[in-house]
Amino acid sequence: MIKQFRSLLLAIVFVPWLAQAAGKVVVYNWSEYIPEDTIEKFTEQTGIEVVYATYESNETMYSKLQLQKNSGYDVVVPSTYYVAKMAKEKMLQPLNKALLPNLQHLEPLLLNKEYDLNNQFSIPYFWGSTGLGVNASEIDPTSIHSWKQLWDPQYQGQLLLMDDVREVFHVALVLNGHSPNTTNPDEIKQAYELLKTLMPNVLVFNSDAPREPYMAGDVNFGMIWNGEVIMAQEEDDAIQYVYPDEGAVFWVDSFVIPAGAANVKEAHAFINFMMRPDIAKDCVDYVGYATANKTAVAMLDDEVRNNPIIFPPQSVIEKGEFQSDVGEAIEIYNQYWQQLKVGQ
Amino acid sequence: MTRIFKALLLLLVFVYLYAPIAVLVVNSFNQSKYGYKWSGFSWKWYQKLWQNDALITAFNHSITIAFLAATAAAMIGTLMALAIYRYRFRLKKAASSALFVVMMSPDIVLAISFLVLFVALGMQLGFWTLLLAHITFCLPFVVVTVYAQLKGFDDHLLEAAQDLGVNEWGMFRTILLPLLLPSILASWLLSFTLSLDDVIISSFVTGPDYEVLPIRVFSMVKVGVSPEVNVLATLLLLISILSLIVFSLLVRRKSL
Amino acid sequence: MTWPNVGIALSFRQTVISLTLGWLALMVVAPHALVLMTSVMTPNSEHLAVWPLTFDGYLKVMQPIYFDVFFQSLWLSGVATLFCLLIGYPFAYVLAKQPPWLRTVLLVLMMLPFWTNSLIRTYAMKLILGKKGIINTALVGSGIIEKPITMLYTEFAVIVGLVYILLPFMVLPLMASFEKLSNELVEASRDLGANGVQRFFTILLPLTAPGIVAGCLIVFLPAMGMFYVADLLGGAKNLLLGNVIKNQFLVVRDWPFGSAFSITLIVMMAGLLWVYALANRFVQRQGGLDDENL
Repeated sequence: MIKQFRSLLLAIVFVPWLAQAAGKVVVYNWSEYIPEDTIEKFTEQTGIEVVYATYESNETMYSKLQLQKNSGYDVVVPSTYYVAKMAKEKMLQPLNKALLPNLQHLEPLLLNKEYDLNNQFSIPYFWGSTGLGVNASEIDPTSIHSWKQLWDPQYQGQLLLMDDVREVFHVALVLNGHSPNTTNPDEIKQAYELLKTLMPNVLVFNSDAPREPYMAGDVNFGMIWNGEVIMAQEEDDAIQYVYPDEGAVFWVDSFVIPAGAANVKEAHAFINFMMRPDIAKDCVDYVGYATANKTAVAMLDDEVRNNPIIFPPQSVIEKGEFQSDVGEAIEIYNQYWQQLKVGQ
Repeated sequence: MTRIFKALLLLLVFVYLYAPIAVLVVNSFNQSKYGYKWSGFSWKWYQKLWQNDALITAFNHSITIAFLAATAAAMIGTLMALAIYRYRFRLKKAASSALFVVMMSPDIVLAISFLVLFVALGMQLGFWTLLLAHITFCLPFVVVTVYAQLKGFDDHLLEAAQDLGVNEWGMFRTILLPLLLPSILASWLLSFTLSLDDVIISSFVTGPDYEVLPIRVFSMVKVGVSPEVNVLATLLLLISILSLIVFSLLVRRKSL
Repeated sequence: MTWPNVGIALSFRQTVISLTLGWLALMVVAPHALVLMTSVMTPNSEHLAVWPLTFDGYLKVMQPIYFDVFFQSLWLSGVATLFCLLIGYPFAYVLAKQPPWLRTVLLVLMMLPFWTNSLIRTYAMKLILGKKGIINTALVGSGIIEKPITMLYTEFAVIVGLVYILLPFMVLPLMASFEKLSNELVEASRDLGANGVQRFFTILLPLTAPGIVAGCLIVFLPAMGMFYVADLLGGAKNLLLGNVIKNQFLVVRDWPFGSAFSITLIVMMAGLLWVYALANRFVQRQGGLDDENL
């Protein structure tokens, strides 16, 4: 009896280690940012086991990575400005392009950007925008056109904001006529003062799945990501997306490999797999964001390719602004952000 | 209080405790993905759960940790209770205070103290850190339960044993352990339950290699999309009822 | 003949004692000492916390904005504790009066939901409290209200969630108190002509005071840390101390500040435990109850 028990104990203790013997890759990604069966396909075709973990904000991902001393995860998907920040802080390792032949499928316009010249560290996965979300069965979407309308007193205690410091400050900075990527403490303070007056209207912060409170009917107006609206519309057409006059917030999320990754070869295999046109197409269909993969774009149904929510017209892109790193100023942003979330 | 009032009170409290679980069970059969309204009966989420490796793995991890932590806590905690009850030693008072602090501390306080310790020791967050943390927060409950039973014992029994030349270990193994079995089992069950229920401590001390259920579900739950979670909850409820029945049958046979 | 025995006896005894002290030193004393140390260090983006010594963390805790969090947190946990007591007290009383087998069954029924992780149960709460949730649907459907009420993402929802999760922790110590309470005492007072209200205030309440205080402590303290309840049901606004501490550790990465917050919480806990000890002593003097398990 005791012997059996002991062997059971040993088995349970050592199973986690045995599992590691086979090839594996630890992917740390935004919640719901990959179709369910894509990972299975990858394992099927490469024999590499995928350990999949998720986060809901760049900040969470960043601190978890720091806590793990940049190891533990093999593939991570930070947004634009975090790629620059993490590269600068030597948290990333250079990619081996020889292991990424599918790179040829990517849109040149989205490569070799200022935040990562020559794509030394990152490969763009999706790009998208943050704009206004409206439930058409409660509010007429044609009446909505500006970030300013969030401040309308009639929405007291009703709005949804992203749980993301940069995106929320983006709105206020743009309304004040400042650059959304400012590092000027005075401008940030002004934005904070403006946001403070917005707080009475806020019901919920959410950047896991902002569509969910809209679909549940708890929220009818607020901020949302374009891809979330696409997902919501599968169930409920009334949820609409509006690009605000002042310009939407644009971002790119990219694959990177942390400096201390244990399974570098498998990580490259994973990133390369995700750049396969058929896989990239699946991802767009499921997640509802615009892919950086031009071959995949050509393969999409017309309905998807011409959907202005996913692929906005050039004029809208020009009006919006991409996020970039604000360096040390992020501390100032965070300080104000904590105060806002306490309701001050 | 009248009988009706008492019955009503019991009923209302249990409705409160079980309403969320009822929602989970009902939604596990709901055709709709989001569960805001009923749109037909379906088994499909049960099939989906089988294919959801990540969720199954997290579930296995949770059960494994709960089992190991409860077992280790029951063993260590029993010895601790014995030490505090039977022996005199320096720092005994400090030891019981430390246990008391662990029992009363908010989870968040324990969680960050574990996190700071593991980071200071340079331990990679994962299986071992999670297990150590879970054993530790279960320990005081074991000690309290076992100690309470120890206090009820007749001292003469142990004295008689001592007179017969039985050594401490022999006394523990042949006399105390069998007698303490009910409280050890009860504290094992309590530890297992607390470990399964924990969210806060787990979310601080585990890493990517060893995701447990609450961590896995934390991101999903806010998303509100994974009906497999409802299925999992339903299965957990079933398992808990079944194992409690088995457990109580075992205990009854033992005590007969 | 006796030598080997003594040898073994000593070694068993020593093993048990060193296991006890060793485990507690490593897993309880050391971590708390480290938190205390971290709380007076300087935050550092690369190494989390470095010397020199500074009390900035504590100064930050005393900033008006965090003071407000403190009070908000105290208020929410306080209300939740009060409701736990109001529901838990009569519930525990009724439970304690049941025959043993039924009491066991009901207790097990109360603990059973724990096996379904509390996070999952909190999530289910969303489906009950939402605008299209069960309560609103029922109220609107029956014509009691016209338009659904906003309950989810409010303080009300957080309180409902906290009470839901912590109620069993209130009931358990209360049950223990009621079980110890001898029926004779209650009956004697009845014979002496005390009415219900008198019996409650002169006998029941004082004698169950330790249970009440223990239950309140075991609910009130954890309630302030339940960040996931505030995240899911309160709309991720920083309502509870737990949210602030978690954010400092896992998002903003100001560990000294987070540690200072935690130490403040521990000091508060110590204060409350002191009150508990006083209450216990008071009751022992009054009713001669024996209640010192640890």
